[in-house]
Amino acid sequence: MNLLSQTFLLLKKDLVIELRRRESLLTMFFFGTLLLFVFHFSFDLVPERVAEMTPALLWLAFLFTGTLGLAQLFEAERGNHCLEALLLSPMDRGALFLAKTAFNFILMFLVEIVVIPLFWILFNLRSWDVIPYLFLVTLLGTVGFCVLGTLLSVVTLKARARELLLPLILFPLMIPVILGTIRCMETILRVGELGDALPWLRLLIGFDVIFLTVGVLIFDWVIEV
Amino acid sequence: MHLTVRHLAKAYGLRWALKDIGFDLPAGEVVALLGPNGAGKTTLLKLLAGLLSPTAGEIVFDGSNFGRSLTAQRSAIGFLTPGEHLYENLTVRENLIFFISLYNKGGAIAQIDATLDEVGLKHHSEEYVAALSSGMKCRLSIAKWKLLEPALLLLDEPYGVLDGNGVDLLESFLRGRRHEGSIVIIASHHVARVVNLCTRALILHQGSLTFDEARQQPWEGFTRAFGEFLPHGES
Amino acid sequence: MAEISKTSVKSKGYLGALALIGVLLGLYWGLLHAPPDAYQGEVQRIMYLHIPSILTAYLSFFLVFVGSCLYLWKREKRDDILAYSAAEIGALFTALTIVEGSIWGKPTWGVWWTWDARLTLTAILLLIFAGYLMLRSLTDDENRAASAAAVLGIIGFLDIPLIHMSVYWWRTLHQPPSILRPDKAPWDNVHPAMLTALAINFVGFVLLYFYLLSRRFRLGEINEEIKARLLNRNN
Repeated sequence: MNLLSQTFLLLKKDLVIELRRRESLLTMFFFGTLLLFVFHFSFDLVPERVAEMTPALLWLAFLFTGTLGLAQLFEAERGNHCLEALLLSPMDRGALFLAKTAFNFILMFLVEIVVIPLFWILFNLRSWDVIPYLFLVTLLGTVGFCVLGTLLSVVTLKARARELLLPLILFPLMIPVILGTIRCMETILRVGELGDALPWLRLLIGFDVIFLTVGVLIFDWVIEV
Repeated sequence: MHLTVRHLAKAYGLRWALKDIGFDLPAGEVVALLGPNGAGKTTLLKLLAGLLSPTAGEIVFDGSNFGRSLTAQRSAIGFLTPGEHLYENLTVRENLIFFISLYNKGGAIAQIDATLDEVGLKHHSEEYVAALSSGMKCRLSIAKWKLLEPALLLLDEPYGVLDGNGVDLLESFLRGRRHEGSIVIIASHHVARVVNLCTRALILHQGSLTFDEARQQPWEGFTRAFGEFLPHGES
Repeated sequence: MAEISKTSVKSKGYLGALALIGVLLGLYWGLLHAPPDAYQGEVQRIMYLHIPSILTAYLSFFLVFVGSCLYLWKREKRDDILAYSAAEIGALFTALTIVEGSIWGKPTWGVWWTWDARLTLTAILLLIFAGYLMLRSLTDDENRAASAAAVLGIIGFLDIPLIHMSVYWWRTLHQPPSILRPDKAPWDNVHPAMLTALAINFVGFVLLYFYLLSRRFRLGEINEEIKARLLNRNN
């Protein structure tokens, strides 16, 4: 069984369990929506200001929602020491990394695909036609978040104060992604296309590729029982 | 098919869990691993399963050392702890299919039904593991390893949750593995049953191997060595 | 592990002495010998400390990276000790850099802090160092702490160039440099005495850094030695 088919096997297992338990997806979705309301009250978002704050607010919402997902990433493996069962098997460790990254990505994708249109509706934005480009940029940023997030999630599995520690070490490392996605989104909202935000897009793609590769290579040494 | 352990040691922080363990097991050996609580039985089993890395010493399985990447060797190693290593939110059948695929033994999928029948879980194949009793979970584990056919099978206290039928089931399964040339190591407190089943006994005490003998009839050496652990007032 | 040899103590002594000389010389040159800056006046002298300390901070992170890679590969304790020693001293020098920058900023810009690229990057570096040290202290099992920190060290180091690029682009694309930047390339139109001062301070700081690092490293080694002896005594 090669790396890819092992990854699919593990991913399928996680998706089946998630479909049955619905722990992560629902909580993430509601949390993301809740944040939009909190933003409205905190920032007093009048129409003139919303447009320029949109990228930042969206990304804040996704960051915190994604962190929620990361905290529950290995929930399926917690009962009955199932992580041990996986490590006992001839599974390629890199497959576990890819599967968990993909799993968190799918959850965040599903949340984003609802929250973005919801944001447009709640704050009466007009520019519906740019949403696909915005979404593309969001996806690239989400990949970066899931890759680093999975790596650090594993590394903090047995640490004390894990729920606090994980964002603490993750967020500084996410700065290129945060800056990149927000700059791209700003430009798209302003002019309707990427234009001179192209270098930022390249940075995002570079980030994703680098850490995806590093993750697959290094995961063997990362995960221990 | 040979398992050799040399000068194996494991320390946790400032405490030795295992010290200078060494033994040699040929194919078809069924080993009773005995000793009081805290002797290091589970630690030894986990080291042999490749779940822990030793502080010192080496493990040689089938000619190759347990190096850092023992992925290839892992497909031949089985570890049975009652109640563990089963996904609560998957059904009995889904668990078996998952592990069979994970271990790359796709051909075994066709035998799932027959095996479930053998362990008495035929009518539970679509139930979630969460709904099973601990005895049934243990039977499921037995079914799992029956299908995966490991060359080295390690069991950690399998007797506790099984009823009479379950015990017979377990023992016929282990005899079957032995027949296939597997090495079986059972850590248990149910001394009488395990000793009856085994071909060799190892006794651990405070991390050291204090007894290592092939089974004999009568077995005075064993009775002497083990007698130290029995509560006062028992023979 | 070997005892401290006489030569090792002596060489640390020499290093310490050299460092002291370097720093003192640098202070003399920087504070007294070099002329004050044409625009900034006396306050510019803090650059003689500020620039070397940020450079040593980055050097530190490189050593964390090297130690982390070696540790994950070879699993030798010394590489782990190197990594966390470098992280501790690096965090110290980074914090120093920020304080120095702030002290310079108040009379120059009128504020204690500003979000220009350099200060922001230094703050981020400090956050990453802090995260590394926190991860270590919050993970109980030592081996796990070491490998967890090693992974973070590697990821952090690889991320730093990307963080650099993104923060610089962000700051320069939106905010043309309208204020005197603290590191105006020192070799254009600069008095040679200032250059010399900078060079001497740089050497002095690097020596100081390595002196502190070697002491911290030795402390780590002694710690391990104590643990190993306690462990062996428990045999």
